[in-house]
Amino acid sequence: MDQYLPLLLIFALGLVFAVGSFAASRMLGPRPRLNPAKLGPFESGIAPRREPPARFPVRFYLVAMIFIIFDIEIVFLYPLAVMFNQLGLFGLVEMASFALVVFVAFAYLVSEGALDWGPGKRAGSRSGAPVTRSVSATVRRVSRPGAPTPQASPWAARGGEAAAAAGGPAASPASAAPKARVVG
Amino acid sequence: MSFPILDVVVLLPLGAALAIALLPRQAPMALPKWLGLGSGVVELGFVLWTVVAFKTGNNHAGFQFTSREPWFGPLGISWYLGVDGISLFLVAVTALLFPIAMATRPSPEGALPRSYLGWMLVLESACMASFLSLDAFLFFIAFEVTLVPGYFVILGGLGERRAYAATKFFLYTFAGSAFLFVGILATYLLVAARLPAGSPASFDIITLARGAMHLPLADQELLLVAFGVAFAVKMPLVPFHTWMPDAYTQAPTGGSMVLSGILFKLGAYGILRWGIFLFPRAAVDLAPLALTLGAVGVVWGSVVAAMQRDLKRLVAYGTVAGVGFIVVGLFGFTVQGITGGVVEMVNHGLSIGGLFLLVGMVWERRRTHELDQLGGLQTVAPVLGWVFMAVLLSAVGLPGLNGFIGELLVLLGTFITHRWWAVVATSGALLGAIYLLWAYQRVFHGPAKAVNAGIRDMTWGERAAIAPLLAGIVFIGVYPQPLLSRIQPAVDHLVAHIEYADPSLKIPSSGQGHGTFAVPANQVVDVPAGTTSSAAAGRGGRP
Amino acid sequence: MTIFAGTAGPGCTISNLVTSEAKVSGLCTAKGSLSIPVEYRSIAPVLILGVAALVLLVLSATLPKRRYPGLWAGLTALAGIATTVDGIVQWANLDNPANTALTVGGQVLYDHFSAFFAILFGCATTLGAAISDSYLSREALDGPEPYVLMLACSAGAVLMAEAAGLITLFLGLEVLSISLYTMTAYHRRRAASGEAGLKYFILGSFSSAVFIYGAALVYGATGSTQYFEIFQFLTGTVVVHDGVLLAGMALLVAGLGFKVAAVPFHFWAPDVYQGAPTPFVGYMAAVAKAAGFAGLLRALMLALPTQVSSWRPAIWVLAVASVLVGSVMALVQADLKRLLAYSSISQAGYVLIGLQAGTQAGWSAASFYLFTYLFMVVGTFAVVGLTQGRGEVRNDLGSIRGLGQRNPWLAGGMLVLLLAQAGVPLTSGFLGKWLVISAVIGKGQYELALIGMVGAAIAAFAYLRVALLMYVPAAPTPARPGQPRGEGGGEPAVAPTGPGAPSGLAEVAGDLEALATAGLGATATAVALRAPSTARLRVPRATAAAIAVCVAFTVFAGVSTPVLSLAHSIGLTWSL
Repeated sequence: MDQYLPLLLIFALGLVFAVGSFAASRMLGPRPRLNPAKLGPFESGIAPRREPPARFPVRFYLVAMIFIIFDIEIVFLYPLAVMFNQLGLFGLVEMASFALVVFVAFAYLVSEGALDWGPGKRAGSRSGAPVTRSVSATVRRVSRPGAPTPQASPWAARGGEAAAAAGGPAASPASAAPKARVVG
Repeated sequence: MSFPILDVVVLLPLGAALAIALLPRQAPMALPKWLGLGSGVVELGFVLWTVVAFKTGNNHAGFQFTSREPWFGPLGISWYLGVDGISLFLVAVTALLFPIAMATRPSPEGALPRSYLGWMLVLESACMASFLSLDAFLFFIAFEVTLVPGYFVILGGLGERRAYAATKFFLYTFAGSAFLFVGILATYLLVAARLPAGSPASFDIITLARGAMHLPLADQELLLVAFGVAFAVKMPLVPFHTWMPDAYTQAPTGGSMVLSGILFKLGAYGILRWGIFLFPRAAVDLAPLALTLGAVGVVWGSVVAAMQRDLKRLVAYGTVAGVGFIVVGLFGFTVQGITGGVVEMVNHGLSIGGLFLLVGMVWERRRTHELDQLGGLQTVAPVLGWVFMAVLLSAVGLPGLNGFIGELLVLLGTFITHRWWAVVATSGALLGAIYLLWAYQRVFHGPAKAVNAGIRDMTWGERAAIAPLLAGIVFIGVYPQPLLSRIQPAVDHLVAHIEYADPSLKIPSSGQGHGTFAVPANQVVDVPAGTTSSAAAGRGGRP
Repeated sequence: MTIFAGTAGPGCTISNLVTSEAKVSGLCTAKGSLSIPVEYRSIAPVLILGVAALVLLVLSATLPKRRYPGLWAGLTALAGIATTVDGIVQWANLDNPANTALTVGGQVLYDHFSAFFAILFGCATTLGAAISDSYLSREALDGPEPYVLMLACSAGAVLMAEAAGLITLFLGLEVLSISLYTMTAYHRRRAASGEAGLKYFILGSFSSAVFIYGAALVYGATGSTQYFEIFQFLTGTVVVHDGVLLAGMALLVAGLGFKVAAVPFHFWAPDVYQGAPTPFVGYMAAVAKAAGFAGLLRALMLALPTQVSSWRPAIWVLAVASVLVGSVMALVQADLKRLLAYSSISQAGYVLIGLQAGTQAGWSAASFYLFTYLFMVVGTFAVVGLTQGRGEVRNDLGSIRGLGQRNPWLAGGMLVLLLAQAGVPLTSGFLGKWLVISAVIGKGQYELALIGMVGAAIAAFAYLRVALLMYVPAAPTPARPGQPRGEGGGEPAVAPTGPGAPSGLAEVAGDLEALATAGLGATATAVALRAPSTARLRVPRATAAAIAVCVAFTVFAGVSTPVLSLAHSIGLTWSL
């Protein structure tokens, strides 16, 4: 039974913390006077008849998954730190190779444009942006996000968005589409 | 080591088939034909040489010309060929029928299709391997492989329902082989379990025969039934025959010839070599069942044949009767009966093969098999008529032709041990004469119909094709001694083997004197030079 | 973790099972430090495949993004060949029994079985890559991703075969499964592909959960997840109340039975086979089945041989159901890929027949069967991938019609592969069935042997139907008898044309059709007989080579001994 005591304690602690948080916000927070307008969306305007569809870009899921990859890397790094002395060089090498694997996945994600954001990217994707993938382009994208690349010059006029467009999704291998459409 | 003639006999047609398949498209049209026919004739030469060189006499009852190579070593499987008196003439008929069958065109116009020639050669190779194989695995493979070329040969025919017939043929025999498959494996494993430690388990027929006869009787009977079902489907014995009329009628002429002349002998040969020889006691116990099926087949096949309105179907049902006759002979367990059965297999190949060939000739002239449409051919095509008559009389069993010898031996031999079945089978011989002669009358006699007036007589090519068959028919009829002297020693030993296995079976007058029965079973088969060691091991460890 | 907990007791005794004590996990000998001696040669196949996957990823991230025809497939095939070669080298190395070992912290078995399956999965990867390339470029799907998935999948499969415990087995299973889910759904523009992927994913995750639950119950009953520790526990202990153990075994069998598509866990297979990209189906049918069976063989024969009387009836039922349901259902399919799916279910039944024998003979028979089935199924699906046309528009039986005239060599190869699956002699399929059936007859189970062979005869009709359709003229559906008929384009060489021939092309073709569609529903018949174009198919070189290899191997393994001896000498090295 003794061995389960810490678990029980943690469980109790968690319960106390959860209940305590609610109680504290109840007690300490301001108490607005509630009325129907106050409870409506945006506290004003026409109340919607039905639940508006919740729309999330697929990109969010993608990001969530990318997060998990790095999360897992961290999860494995913790035990390494704890056991570092016992594992010695072997552990270090193993962890390094593990980190390398995760890094390769990261590099792949970047090259696929998974970390490129902004409307410029979307515009680029639609038009089939010129393929600008090379070792240097990938590395540059990682190291200096936002810096305009030479290939990005057609979009330079659009300022901030241009950089994102440069890294336009490489998923479409078509040749350069009419650039005027994009710029226009 | 002497010239491996049996390997050549098995592999030569296969090589020719490969060569035909690989011929370039631009090759002259006649080349495949001459390649196929040429290899068939060379094959026939080899086989005839084997027949001539085959040693006769009671000291040569075992397998001759054996050739043995390890094949699937870990499983005790070897490439093991050999010929004895029982298989010798079946091989000879095979070699004789195939070139003739290949020369017949599956369709009346155009050259011989290459696919037809190729499949026929593969079929010949597989049939040869089945007859010559002394290894159960090799036998099963060859037995199964006949299905694939058989399927395509039937598919190459002209019948309207040939695809149906081909598939039915394939599936029936495939399902039957399932039992053979299980049976062979079970025999092998049961025998292997009883072998003395250290002696290698093997699929070769000598090891199996030695071990199998000492298995518990119930096991033996089950195994024999498993083997029997497969062979009965192939033969086809009566309740398993329904694929046969379709297949024989839908196949092209050459296909029908080899299907009826050779392929069904695989079943009859199989029941003798791999059924009765391996499980003699069980065979004795189950003989009434087999004899009944055979006798029913004789009567039923004859009656149904008599009712047919289609000439080819009539001949096809005639083979059902013929098969029944052979089975009646084999399960008489007398020297005469079994010799007669073997001779009947050979005869049947010659006469039914010849009949199918002649029916094909009629069809080429009239494009029909309907008996109503034919009639009076004798006047317009006298040579065809006379040849047809000769072959038909051979099938009926006229003294002086080959059929007589076989039928006489079968009936004599079986009458000694199983009287009433022989009596029923005799009625079948009578019925056979009725339906065949009636058919002859309807096709050849009477006034020639107007449509039949203009047909030509046999061409020289056709005469050349039927001539070897006629020669065989007459030769065996007037001088069967070379045949019998080669068959008899092997059969004597087989009968001795059966008596040794089941001493309670008294075979009253087997004609060869009871001295031979003293031969212990382990000497039933002359042990070829290469297998002495394993034979010695087997002998030492016998329970 | 169990390795730490168990080392003091059973862990050390394991070493007695192994010929050389020094080779066993260092956890016993070196308790002070936790360094795990990794014998890299034992996991070399996994490393080769995994590193190849990473190399592909790096290349795709760094190379300028454009099409590289053949590059990705070539690299994948290269990795596959490397794996095969490595497997062969390891095999030779393992011929010395002293090299057989339990390595990597007791998680990996280094023995002939592992090497054999490394060779198997290496070949599968090579062939899979070879047949995928042309398909992917035809469907405009090319890129490195499917190959990365394929390599990862193979790595997982090898791991499953090498696993020395249920946890490692599960690890391999998940790597394999997740790659396969994605590969199934890879055809982005085909709704069926996505649907199949989702179905496979949901059912597959469920089965993984079932499996891990089973592993947990077995752990609960025996105190370990390592095969040898389970075995030792069960030999040393009489389990009186074995409910938990039985439930655990049942769940393990169910979880892996799903992977190998054994009836009644087969419902996903037809849908997934139908929807997934065709070359991937060939790869999947070979690899997922082989890996699932490798895991099942190891788990049942190494960990639970003492419970054989408990699991044999269950496997018996699965085997019979798979053989019969697979064969019978294959008869009524109008879709070629579905037909092959049911056929693969029935083939799984034969491996199960070998497995349930629970003997050395059954063990090597199952291995041989899986190895030869790989070549048959990959070759078959490669041909289907060619006949279906761009966009997988035609998967029905009719698509293969007339192939005998259009591409005689392709049809000939397909014929050999189909006959091999039907079990016709002189092909590896026959030898596989021979070994499996001989294994059960050796156990005296004649009824099972007969059921198996009857199933083979039923299935033969399904294969024969496809074979027959290949030789039906590809001409448009001919007119019914009585109507005037024209001479069709693709006239067979053997069809009569002469005046007065009682049967013309139409009737003959009609009969072939009638037979080829016997037993199908009316709609299915109509679909199956829609004639394909009579144009000759263009066969890409890599695919042609892969099919040729498959056919050649199928015949080679059917008539010669090397593969047979290989499978035969996979000993139950570890059994006591």
